[in-house]
Amino acid sequence: MTWPLIALAIEREEDVVIARQRARRLAQLLGHDTQDQSRIATAVSEIARNAVVYAGGGRVEFSIETVDGVQSLCIRVADRGPGIADLDAVLEGRHQSASGMGIGILGTRRLMDSFQIESSRQGGTVVRFSKRLPRGRTIRREDLGAIAATLTAEGTPDTLAETREQNRELLASLSELRTRQDDLARLNLELEDTNRGVVALYAELDQRAEELRRASELKSRFLSDMSHEFRTPLNSILALSRLLLDRTDGELAPEQERQVGYILRSAQNLTDLVNDLLDIAKVEAGKVELQPRAFTVAELFGALRGVLKPLQTSDAVELVFHDIGHTAPLFTDEGKVSQILRNLVSNALKFTEAGSVQVTAHHDAATRRYTFAVRDTGIGITPEDQERIFSEFVQVENRLQAKVKGTGLGLSLSRRLAELLGGELTVQSEPGQGSTFSLTIPDRLPGTGPVPVDPAPRRGNGPRILVVDDEDASRYVLRQFASTYPGAEVIEAVDGTEGLRRAREDRPDLVLLDLRLPGLDGFEVLRRLGEDEATRPIPVLICTSSVLEAPDYRRLDRATGILPKASLSRDQVLSALAAALRAGENAP
Amino acid sequence: MDRIPILKLGHSLLVTIQVDMHDRLAMALEEDLTQKIVSSGAKGVLIDISALEIVDSFIGRTLANIAGVSRMLDADTVVVGMRPAVAITLVELGLSLPGVRTALNAERGMALISRRVAEADRDGAADAPDVHGDE
Repeated sequence: MTWPLIALAIEREEDVVIARQRARRLAQLLGHDTQDQSRIATAVSEIARNAVVYAGGGRVEFSIETVDGVQSLCIRVADRGPGIADLDAVLEGRHQSASGMGIGILGTRRLMDSFQIESSRQGGTVVRFSKRLPRGRTIRREDLGAIAATLTAEGTPDTLAETREQNRELLASLSELRTRQDDLARLNLELEDTNRGVVALYAELDQRAEELRRASELKSRFLSDMSHEFRTPLNSILALSRLLLDRTDGELAPEQERQVGYILRSAQNLTDLVNDLLDIAKVEAGKVELQPRAFTVAELFGALRGVLKPLQTSDAVELVFHDIGHTAPLFTDEGKVSQILRNLVSNALKFTEAGSVQVTAHHDAATRRYTFAVRDTGIGITPEDQERIFSEFVQVENRLQAKVKGTGLGLSLSRRLAELLGGELTVQSEPGQGSTFSLTIPDRLPGTGPVPVDPAPRRGNGPRILVVDDEDASRYVLRQFASTYPGAEVIEAVDGTEGLRRAREDRPDLVLLDLRLPGLDGFEVLRRLGEDEATRPIPVLICTSSVLEAPDYRRLDRATGILPKASLSRDQVLSALAAALRAGENAP
Repeated sequence: MDRIPILKLGHSLLVTIQVDMHDRLAMALEEDLTQKIVSSGAKGVLIDISALEIVDSFIGRTLANIAGVSRMLDADTVVVGMRPAVAITLVELGLSLPGVRTALNAERGMALISRRVAEADRDGAADAPDVHGDE
């Protein structure tokens, strides 16, 4: 009859220590004396070590065996190893062991009461040995529970195994972590390499950019220097040619006159070219200084009309400037705008054989930009050429090109100037249908602040009168009446906002203010005029068709006078103006 | 891995084994002791196994090895404090620990080593003129 007690797996040297300690403790619990405890533990140690060393591990089982009424502690150690090759030699003591002085099995046999060993190549080695329980000591089945419980409570082979398992896992994760770390390190290295490459590339690019910049700068300086150098002799040629043509040094033969005329014209062409070159060089070098001032489209067109009339060589082409009436004034560099438009118009005239060249302007109040369009009915430009024409020295092949003179710089310069003014120059064209060049610029030069420094220059020496009224008819009537005032200059605004702005910018001597206005009404305009330091001294005449109540009058306290529109006459307006202007002059 | 501590006490090394050693620990002790004998020039090694309840053939062989190696290195090994049960078991096991001197307890063991050192000194003093740099 066999009662199993405990069983242990033995895989490592430490397990051998655990096995022999369990064996000793078990022997103690079963009542063996110290000597037997030592014997049993030593025997277990020997056989368990053999299982670990020779078979790579096995199992130790403890049990109580009862044979013919005699109880023994029976130990069975089994492994799954290759078996013992020369068992007989070992048992006869002829074997020389590498570890235990060759006495493990033999010694165990001596230490125990019974000893059996079976070994085969397939089934491994099984060693069974036992020690009788001390005399007078009987273990009953009920005692087994208590013994097992005590062993379990004391020994923790399972906990140990668990710890070992955790350790193994820990080691595994550690090695995995190390692998990851290695991977990361490698990746990092790769990235660093890439980074170095990118940095090197950047440095190269920077260098290239610097070289390009320097080359471009050199070109600009060359252009600028050369243009200056060219101009001096050219001016001499021009002056001398004129002297000759003026007959200062005597009469010229007709042929001579013609030749000198050619010289003069060629020199003029060359001067134009040099001037354009100089302008481009200036723009590129950022040396162009913009001189913004306030002007109106009407003023601009007026000046252009005079300048461009001589270019209109053929009666077949009509040059028309469309007057757009009153619009918000521009505050930008008039010279540059004029230069661009001159260029565009002169181009349009060159490439138009018959029809018209029309110049229009349009103000977009929402984006606060002016669009000037020069539309011709000329030969047009193919889509492929539409971008090319803005490049320097590019002239498009066409049948008219030969006839007209040009440098190929005009459009390039114009576009640069347009960009300088914060705008753009574009073209729409179809061959045979004519072209439209559009210059779009902000009505106020970017970066010049909200309030221009100079008011528009005075036309005359009389008073400047601002009429603020949204109705065209009223404005017309008031303008007619007011302009009969000696020397008076009348400017107009179509709503309260524009009225305030013009009052601030153009410094009128008097404001004629309607009360019913879109957006800001007259009351509000009056109040704001009074709040602004600059506009407070300007006398304001209210000019209204509304019937005013008492509260209205209170709100109009600041006004110099009130003119009811219902009974407006020239004399009445003039006398009111005179009174108001006098009041304005006397104002502090 | 754990190590068994080795203390230097005058001319001797003192080792007190207080845990049940597994095989690798026993081998490590052998290596450590060998090195320590060389580095310290100890004349004796005292190994106290009074705490051991089990000495099997492997530990026995290790003790014998230690004794053999230290004798080669001019040091005597004395194993002290062996329990009676352990002694009996060793004999039954067939292990006689050749070359290992034993003493009942640490005190007698130290006396044994001191005597041996004293003899060596006397002999060494007599032979001194012939011997160079053996320290």
